[in-house]
Amino acid sequence: MAQAVITDPKETDTVEERVTSGTIDTDVHPYPNTITDLTPFLSSRWNQYIEQSGFKGPPGTQYPKGYEMAGRRDAWPPNGQRVGSDPDFARQQLLDHWNIRYAVLNPLYGHEKVHNDDFSIALASAINAWMSAMWLDNDDRWRGSISVTANLPEAAAEEIRRVAKDPRYVQIIVTVRSESPYGKRVFHPIFEAACDVGLPVGIHFGTWGNNPITAAGWPSYYLEDHTGMTQAFEAQVLSLVSEGVFEKFPDLKIALIEGGFAWLPPLMWRFDKNYKGLREEVPWLRRLPSEYILEHFRMTTQPMDEPPNPQHFLQILDMIGRDDFLMFATDYPHWDFDAPDRALPSVVRGDLRTKIMSENAAAFYEFERA
Amino acid sequence: MSSSEHDVGAVTDFQVGRPHRVEIDGRALVILNVGDRIYAVRDICPHQGARLSDGQCKSRLRVTAVGTQPEIQADDLVLQCAWHGWMFDLDTGRALTENDSARVRTYSARVQDSRVLVDTT
Repeated sequence: MAQAVITDPKETDTVEERVTSGTIDTDVHPYPNTITDLTPFLSSRWNQYIEQSGFKGPPGTQYPKGYEMAGRRDAWPPNGQRVGSDPDFARQQLLDHWNIRYAVLNPLYGHEKVHNDDFSIALASAINAWMSAMWLDNDDRWRGSISVTANLPEAAAEEIRRVAKDPRYVQIIVTVRSESPYGKRVFHPIFEAACDVGLPVGIHFGTWGNNPITAAGWPSYYLEDHTGMTQAFEAQVLSLVSEGVFEKFPDLKIALIEGGFAWLPPLMWRFDKNYKGLREEVPWLRRLPSEYILEHFRMTTQPMDEPPNPQHFLQILDMIGRDDFLMFATDYPHWDFDAPDRALPSVVRGDLRTKIMSENAAAFYEFERA
Repeated sequence: MSSSEHDVGAVTDFQVGRPHRVEIDGRALVILNVGDRIYAVRDICPHQGARLSDGQCKSRLRVTAVGTQPEIQADDLVLQCAWHGWMFDLDTGRALTENDSARVRTYSARVQDSRVLVDTT
C-alpha cells in the first residue's frame, strides 16, 4: 500500500506538499440528514410508527456542544443539509483534500438511547443499510463500522454476523458510556460474534447509558463531559481485562476511539501493581493486565493529547511501549477535527510518523480484504 | 544440628498456618509451620519492605475457565504480604505474578526433637 505520509511540514507548503497519499483516518462520522433518510431501510411497521408518532430521531446530546451537532462550521454542506450527511461533500472536503487512502465511518446515530428494544434494533439495521447504500457505494475509500444495539447483545451478535458478510465493514462500533462495563458476561455474545467474523470492536466516545457521566455525578459543562470521557474508557479497559474477556476470546481486538491515550501508561502501572495483590479475584488471568492491554487494544489519536513540551509526546509513546499502538484519526466533521498535517507534533518523524498515520491502522483493520 | 543451623524454638511455639517473626544474629525471618512442614523466609517484602510476618499464609487458587469459580489448592500454599497483597511461593520465594523478578530469600528449615532448626547459609 501507499507509504510516506508526511514530509517535514512548513507553513508555506500547500496541503498537497505536506501530505501525500496513504493517510488512514480511523474516525469519521456520517449522519442521516433526517429520519426520512432511513425510511427506505425500515419496515412498513416502523415507518408507520414513525409517521404516527412524529419521531424525529433518538434523544440528543446531554450537553450543548461548542458548535451545533459538534460540527466544524465549514463542514455544513452547501446543499443546506446537516453536517456529515452529504457523502459527496465529505469526499471532497476530507478524502480528496487530505489525500486520505481509507476512512473508517463510525455512525453515532444514538439508536441505543431508544428504549423500545425492537425499534432500536431496527434503527441500527437501518443505519447499516443506509451507510452501505449512501456512503460505501459512494467511494471505495470509505469503510464501515457495524452499528448494533449493544444493550441487546444477542440481537447485536445477529446483526454483526449479517452485516459482516460485506467486506467493506471493518469494525463493530459501540459507545463507551454504557450502562454496565463491557467486560460483563452479558456482553460476551458481541465479542463472540466479532471473533467469528474476524472484526475488531471499536469503543467510541459517547453515551447510550443513563448513568451519570462521571464517577462523581453530573458535571455542569461540555468541557467536563469532553475532557472527562477518559474515565469511561479507563473503566472499559479495566472491565474487559479483569473479566477475562481476552482469555475467553484470544483473537479479540479492541479499538479505543476518541478517548485520548496519554492516560494509558499510569493506568497500566496501577493495574499491574494492584493485580499483584488482588489477583485471586480474577484467577482466570494468566498474564499481567498491561500485557493484555498492549496485545489486544489499539487507540486512535484524536482528540490529540498535546503536552506543552512536544518531546513529552514521544515520552508517552515510549511509556506505552509499542510503536504500532496509535492510529491516526481526524474525527471529521466534528469541531475538534485533527488535521493530518498538523496534529502530530513535528518531533514525530520518519517510520514512527508513517506507522501512526497509516501503517498501524492498515495492519489493524486489514482494509485490503474488500 | 549442623553448625549453620539455628534453634529458633519449639515447634509448638509456631501455631500452624500463622507466620511468626524470629531474629537470628540480627536477621529477621518468618517461620511458617504448615503442619507437615516448616518454612523459613526473610521477613521483608521485596516490594516496599513490609514485614511478611504481618501477612498471611493461604492456599493458591486454580481456575479452569473464565467466569468459573476457582478451586482452593489446599496443598499449594503462599505467603501474602500485609501491605499490597503480593504473594510469594514458599519453596522458591518468587512472587506469583508472571514475569516478575521480585523474590524473597528462602532458608532451609526442619524439625528435630520437636525443635525448629533454620539453616542460614
